[in-house]
Amino acid sequence: MIKDITIGQYFNGNSVLHRLDARMKIVLTVAFIVSIFFCKNFWSLGLMVLFTIQTVIISRVPLKMVLKSIKPIAIIVVFTSLLNIFYISGGTTLVDGRYIDITTNGIFTALFMATRIVCLVVISSMLTYTTTPTMLTDAIEKLLSPLKIFKIPVSTLAMMMTLALRFIPTLIDEIDRITNAQKARGANLDDGNFIQRIKALVPIIVPLFVSSLRRAIELADAMDCRCYGGPGRTRMKQMKLRFRDFAALAIMVAFIAGIIVLNYYFGAVLIK
Amino acid sequence: MPILSAKGVAHLYNKGTPSQSKAIYDINIDIEEGELVGIIGHTGSGKSTLVQHFNGILKPECGQIIVDGTDIWSSKKATREARFKVGLCFQYPEYQLFEETVYKDISFGPKNMGLSEEEIDKRVQLAAEYVGLPKSLLDKSPFDLSGGEKRRAAIAGVIAMQPKVLILDEPTAGLDPRGRDKILEMIKSYREKTGSTVLLVSHSMEDVAKIATKVLVMNNARVEMYGTVDEIYSRSEELREIGLNVPQVSKIFEILKKSGLNIGSAYTVEKAAERILSLGGASV
Repeated sequence: MIKDITIGQYFNGNSVLHRLDARMKIVLTVAFIVSIFFCKNFWSLGLMVLFTIQTVIISRVPLKMVLKSIKPIAIIVVFTSLLNIFYISGGTTLVDGRYIDITTNGIFTALFMATRIVCLVVISSMLTYTTTPTMLTDAIEKLLSPLKIFKIPVSTLAMMMTLALRFIPTLIDEIDRITNAQKARGANLDDGNFIQRIKALVPIIVPLFVSSLRRAIELADAMDCRCYGGPGRTRMKQMKLRFRDFAALAIMVAFIAGIIVLNYYFGAVLIK
Repeated sequence: MPILSAKGVAHLYNKGTPSQSKAIYDINIDIEEGELVGIIGHTGSGKSTLVQHFNGILKPECGQIIVDGTDIWSSKKATREARFKVGLCFQYPEYQLFEETVYKDISFGPKNMGLSEEEIDKRVQLAAEYVGLPKSLLDKSPFDLSGGEKRRAAIAGVIAMQPKVLILDEPTAGLDPRGRDKILEMIKSYREKTGSTVLLVSHSMEDVAKIATKVLVMNNARVEMYGTVDEIYSRSEELREIGLNVPQVSKIFEILKKSGLNIGSAYTVEKAAERILSLGGASV
């Protein structure tokens, strides 16, 4: 059923990561993603993997869910690894084929790339697992608010994002209802070739559009009635940086410093 | 042989998740051909879930749904046939309209049945006549109709399949009193003209009393009672216990009876007027 699709992947919990300020989480995630590409040797790579594992443990998100987020990128990881193994030259040559060489550099690059991609996806999914979509949009709005100087309507954009997220479950219900109604009139949605299947969607898409437009107009009226758009809008939930947010920032700074030190101390693993 | 029967049917919500719950269970009913059954119950008592099993939109967790002698889940063909034998009109059916003209929209069902052009035309005209849509509206866009007209056009779309059993889920929801009476009158005359079985889901005891021959009461995901209008409405104490109110006139008649007046019982205003008049006639 269409209802099984999970939109947003918030995992309800109460870990430290859940309670961190969403703005801080976004900033730290970006910092981590940048630092991923600093790692030049196995020591710093190891530190990064340790950090990632530690984050997952702290979040108390079940391992099964974390693995689920990696699943879609498995093919990309395997593919890039293979390309790297076959096409990167340099270092000691292990296999000397007629068309392809396998070198230590190739294997190391593949290993680095795979680890980086996996860590990147795991950490960014930690952000969405521990932050509700509304908190995320609020945080994005706050982080982008300096752009208001350039006359960019940041809060309007954020409201649009919030509304879009809010109406996804409603639309899914609506699709379900319309689909059932047309099925009751004998609509055949499961059989036929590609063209027939596309055509069979018309009886569902047209009513869906009609009701979405109606809903949008009603919502706009309701917002107007409550004077949306007036100046100086305040928030029910004020975002406030606490001690734990600064502690998290300190940990991230220490982590990046650690990576730089390890890089400097042990040198690069790839041989030019 | 009953036209429609359910044997030990149960359905679960959110199966396999912590919030799993019984939507309906232990459903055993036989509905005879030609009846007009009012299905009443509280919001969330399982009325809509139950009727969605009758044409195979929902698949029961266990048990059988038998339409016209065949188990509708015995084969893919049987399931598809059930869709046409049992016409189900959902709540707020006007939101299913999609074609350019009302005519085309009503013909959607018959077209899916693979009928000939002539047959489709005949059925569309007939269905429009049953629901009282004037011919001039058939070439209009369904989105230009009024709310009540849209509702009737959508119901015509189901009637045009000429199902043996017609199920209407809250066909009067959100309509004004006049629109409501029009739809009820239409359902009644449709059944009288075609002789088909009709199931009417409603939470209005008044509406059901007006046109139904039998009443099925749902409560807490089960069938609580099933019987003729007289049988069910006379059990007003039990009905009240499960939160259903008998019509106001029946209450008045109950009080009259208690105070010693031999007046019988009535569930609709018309019937009540008749009774009172006959009482007057007797005394004159």
